Amino acid sequence: MSEDEFDLNDLLDDVAKVPPTADPAPPETLPVATPSSEAEFMGETGAVTGKARMEAAYGTGEGEGQGMAMVAKSATVEAGTIFHQIYRPWRGNLNPRWVRNWSILRHHVYGLFSKGHRPWPVTTKLLVVIVLFGSLLPIISMAMATLTGIDALMQFYGVSRANLWGHVLGRFHNICCWPLLTALIVGGLISEDRQHGTSAIYFSRPVTRTDYTLMKYISAALILSLVIVFSYCAYYAAAIVLNNEGWAYLLDTIPFFLGGLVAAFMLVVTFTSIGLALSSISTGRFFPAASFLGIIFGSQILAFLIKLLFDRDTLFLISPYDNLAHVGQYMMGINTTYDFPPAWSFVALLLMNGISLYILISRVNSLEVTRE
Amino acid sequence: MALENDLERAGGCLIEHRQVVPPTIHRIDGAVPMTEEWIVETHDLVKKYGEHLALDGINLAVRPGATGLLGPNGAGKSTLLKTILGLIALTSGGGKVLGHDIATEGAKIRQRIGYMPEYDCLIPEMEAIHQVRYAGELLGMNSISAVQRAHEVLEYVGLRDQRYRTVSTFSTGMEQATKLACSLIHDPDLLLCDEPTNGLDSNARGFMLDTLFQVVKQGGRSIIMSSHLMDDVERICDRMLMIHKGQVIAQGRIEDLKAIDREIEISVWGGASRIEEKLKDMGQSVRRTGRVMRITRIDDSTYGTIIKAAAETSVQIRKMEDYEPSLEDLFIVIMDRLGYSVKSSKDLLGGNTPTMDHAAQLGRKVA
Repeated sequence: MSEDEFDLNDLLDDVAKVPPTADPAPPETLPVATPSSEAEFMGETGAVTGKARMEAAYGTGEGEGQGMAMVAKSATVEAGTIFHQIYRPWRGNLNPRWVRNWSILRHHVYGLFSKGHRPWPVTTKLLVVIVLFGSLLPIISMAMATLTGIDALMQFYGVSRANLWGHVLGRFHNICCWPLLTALIVGGLISEDRQHGTSAIYFSRPVTRTDYTLMKYISAALILSLVIVFSYCAYYAAAIVLNNEGWAYLLDTIPFFLGGLVAAFMLVVTFTSIGLALSSISTGRFFPAASFLGIIFGSQILAFLIKLLFDRDTLFLISPYDNLAHVGQYMMGINTTYDFPPAWSFVALLLMNGISLYILISRVNSLEVTRE
Repeated sequence: MALENDLERAGGCLIEHRQVVPPTIHRIDGAVPMTEEWIVETHDLVKKYGEHLALDGINLAVRPGATGLLGPNGAGKSTLLKTILGLIALTSGGGKVLGHDIATEGAKIRQRIGYMPEYDCLIPEMEAIHQVRYAGELLGMNSISAVQRAHEVLEYVGLRDQRYRTVSTFSTGMEQATKLACSLIHDPDLLLCDEPTNGLDSNARGFMLDTLFQVVKQGGRSIIMSSHLMDDVERICDRMLMIHKGQVIAQGRIEDLKAIDREIEISVWGGASRIEEKLKDMGQSVRRTGRVMRITRIDDSTYGTIIKAAAETSVQIRKMEDYEPSLEDLFIVIMDRLGYSVKSSKDLLGGNTPTMDHAAQLGRKVA
């Protein structure tokens, strides 16, 4: 048998000659990182660079691997461990009440524009954009009039008492724009907290029910104001700029502009109150939205029919829109189209707001922390 | 009886008889340990909802550590949790949580407490990271700190790779973990967990309990955990608090409370009935199932008594060991002494116990 041929006995002899091995080595442990006294960010020691922050925050690219190693840095972790829980205390300070309130406000308002805040439905965002641009159309018309020199266009769309009143309280805007906008904005604001139990997130923290209600109210009012009041002011400002008006024009028009501004705020406040009250008594966004539209349109239609049939205006007092329109007409110095005094409408508005706020407050008080 | 030796009756409650050394708590990273001896302390708490008495003179003294809150449905657990959170106006009585007055310092209490509700409390369309961040901002954390801390706690609860998923796509376990992350974001001194393992499968339940256990042992935080699952409470809590009909019926260290029902278990061969009779004649309390018997352990002499009885009746004892009662056993014993004929905690927690009226008649008869 040549040397190259395989012989099993040789192999067995070789194995027998091998000295016995020592006991298996204990399982390796990962090197324990000594925490640096200078810098530590999410378990990573060393210089805290922008890259390190990005990796720690988003766990992308090279940071992914490092992130896994980061959680395994413990004296008791054995090789192969990829996840090891370490409770890390937080030593920051909690800010006062206004910061908490600001976070609620920002959560709701920023949600319209950016990710990471309140997730508004796409339809709501679309409607906000459409209504905003729609309400800015008179500006485009005035710009066209200025560019083309067509005076009729400017007379039709230009600033006047009736046009300013119409921008806020006109029938068109109050059928096609503001009520729809309010219904979508306010509908789920509180009802969804009740539906998803999110109220526990608020009330188990140092957020009072007053703060919660107030911030929700301001958030809704702010979003509505962004469209209604902003477009009203933009319309007036555009008229001044495009027509190259002077101080005399300003002095002439500022009183009824301010009257319209107050009427716009009253509209925002009243619609927000009614909408939030409806939102607070339900557990979904559909019922508050539908019932809000029902109240606004239904009361108008009912009052209109009664006027047609019996020639009585008094029932317009149950219509939020008509009360607002009436008070707005009075404040802007326009002939009123209702047979009763504007003070009645004002009182009716106060009552509507008062009742709505009472319902809102009592229902928010009933929101539970432990169970809904 | 052992119960009477170890516990004394006071105000209808079983209270600790001896001074118990509070658990040693080590915080990592040089965090400051809590100094309060009692994290929750109440005196004669009464809360009425109209005619309904939700809390009936609750006297609590809860030490730092993990405490289980047990009780049947409608016992007043939720009302007690709301009281601890400083959310409800009390009818009478008062107390302190983490050194703050329940009646007047609710906001300060809630700044130091993390609350993990039993029910859904997350915004479904939000991503987990933003959900947790917002929970932190509502406590007063600034945005940058809240985001950084949200990453930390989501990693801690095992959602590192899932943090940018919307909550609506989460499983129940992941939702529970997100809720825990929300409650841990500000590193609270006291964590209130309402049924933290509700709806979780075995693996997720184990992970949740391990995580809570770590919060106590590694983080040095305190937990009050409300649960219907005795095993869960027993696994992470060293103390328990049992309430029923708005009253505290037992509170203290689980080990101490278990002592009220310490038994010796024996397996016998050749005359189980004889030795049972003999032991009863010798004044022992015996429970028997076939050849296995449990004899109430009065003191060390009980072992000798058993052997003596076996010798006199010529019965072989093939196994003799101390029987460690579970929390379930303890629950049954306490309820039994309150007058409920329950065979397991489910009988009572389901609210279908036929002997409820009988128990109500017995009122506060404890032990």
